[in-house]
Amino acid sequence: MAEVFRLDAPYRGSYRLERLSFGSGPARVAVVAGLHGNELNGVHALNLVARTLRVARLNGTVHLLPMVNTFGLEHGTKRWPFGDRDINQAFPGDPDGSPVARIAHALLAATDAEVCLDIHSGSAVLRELSQVRVPLSGREVELGRSMDLPVVWRRHGDLLEATGLVGAWRQSGRSALHIVGGRGATLDLGSARTMANGIFRLLHHLGVLSVQPDAGKTVVDTTKARVSYHYSSVGGFWVPEVRVGDRVAPGHLLGSVTEVVGGDDLETVRAERSGVVVTLRSYPVVHARELLVRVADALP
Amino acid sequence: MTARHEVLCSIGLPTGDAVDVVRRRFQGGSGPRVAVVAGIRGDTPEGVRVAHQVASFLAGVHDQLAGTVDVYPCVNPLAAHRGARHWPFFDQDLNRRFPGRPNGHAPDHVAWALVQDLAGIDQLIEVRGAHPAFSEVPQAQVRATDSRAAELARHGNVQVVWTRHPGPAAPSTLAWQFPETIVLEGGTGNRLSTGVGRNLAHGVLNMLAELEVLTNELLPFHWAGMTRPPAVGDTEVHRVRSGAGGLFLPEVGVWDELEPSTLLGTVVDPITGACVERIVSPSTGRVMAVREQPVIFPGTMVARVVEAALG
Repeated sequence: MAEVFRLDAPYRGSYRLERLSFGSGPARVAVVAGLHGNELNGVHALNLVARTLRVARLNGTVHLLPMVNTFGLEHGTKRWPFGDRDINQAFPGDPDGSPVARIAHALLAATDAEVCLDIHSGSAVLRELSQVRVPLSGREVELGRSMDLPVVWRRHGDLLEATGLVGAWRQSGRSALHIVGGRGATLDLGSARTMANGIFRLLHHLGVLSVQPDAGKTVVDTTKARVSYHYSSVGGFWVPEVRVGDRVAPGHLLGSVTEVVGGDDLETVRAERSGVVVTLRSYPVVHARELLVRVADALP
Repeated sequence: MTARHEVLCSIGLPTGDAVDVVRRRFQGGSGPRVAVVAGIRGDTPEGVRVAHQVASFLAGVHDQLAGTVDVYPCVNPLAAHRGARHWPFFDQDLNRRFPGRPNGHAPDHVAWALVQDLAGIDQLIEVRGAHPAFSEVPQAQVRATDSRAAELARHGNVQVVWTRHPGPAAPSTLAWQFPETIVLEGGTGNRLSTGVGRNLAHGVLNMLAELEVLTNELLPFHWAGMTRPPAVGDTEVHRVRSGAGGLFLPEVGVWDELEPSTLLGTVVDPITGACVERIVSPSTGRVMAVREQPVIFPGTMVARVVEAALG
């Protein structure tokens, strides 16, 4: 483990950005987790990956940075807790700028690899089926599909802003994948293992890892046009009737918004299409017009 | 000729309660339509105070207005309710959600509703307070390309007009949605500061007179008492950052005069109290902002210094 950046901190030990490196030769892959301090599934996923890479023969170098926002982790916050700044809006950063700008700059420099992955959990209120988000076309689609995660989501350029890590990587010519799995503020062991296995398959696809990893299975390979978004029309208490990964048919009861006191139904939510539940609200208090469920077309 | 209190939108809450975002409209003749928006963040009570002071004055003279003034005294009432910066529950900075979405969650919906309501506006004035960690001198901020706004802002009874180039977050702010927007800011974060609210309220009224929505005779002060601020660009505004982490102890206050070696403050070790850094002014000028929340990291901004030949 190597310290790639340090920032003095008042009252306590310094902030340290730690990097685990495996193999030798050209930097092929860099994987980052914990940009958001309350998204912990990626942290565990990378620690699982590290256990294997310690004893594996690798063709090239793999960098793992399992936890960027360590102070956010300690405070239980998504953002950098001093000044409430989102590190993922501070790229490309500045070595002479604000604390988060310095961290962003150091992180970009520490992940100078051919292929880069940024791993997140869903928000603190949503659980996501493990997925890789890629552009609509290009090499990243091929790389994303090689992970065999449950969901491949091809999206427009909404993650290409240069202030975000994935956008900054792409602007600097690196292939960049955005991985999301499970829910924030919790540890979802299944999602962490799934994402770790997806990383092994990517390493194998790139020829970095020679051992054949366990097979995965993609059940959804989609664009937004083939995803139904279900929003609450009223505020209340959301009671889901499905889990992420469930297959549903049109009319299937997805859940209900009920009165907080009394429990009477205010709204029932039913599937509009056949497909797979890829996103599910798991925090019950809901306001009007909040996302409850996403259902995506399943692969045949 | 009317003075109306209207609900821009009502936000339903999970318990069945609701909170209203309100617009107060003061309508006289068919002249320009000006909007005064405050409380986009919940930790800016100074802006809310200014909006209420302006509205209170206009309520008494609305039948003599040559145009329309829409006052939105608090766009983010749930955040203001708890004195927090962001929209609660969603933890969203409303000033990063513009232009909003009609079918989005509450902050996005409010942002969208506000932008729709402001469509066709002749002049937008947004009133803020300072960031919670800072004291700021009363100032106006306009986009570097908005020369008409920069000239009007010099009538805003502020100490300085800052013509800024937009940062990366600018497109998601309210001010970005409407060219020539003037942002007024000043005081201490999440607090009311003696005199600042009155000065900014007078500045808003003075700008309404300059826009000929009000006549000078109606103003509750004499125009000659207004400031004559300089306009400065980004190259004249220096963000002073600490080199060390620790506690920043300021030695200056806002609008203090500075020489190149003037001590702005010291950084001390929070455990021993030993001085670890002396931070001095980078230029001749004045203190535009100074940090009042002392805990800092290396790179934290501790002051903003404006370099100019100022009276």
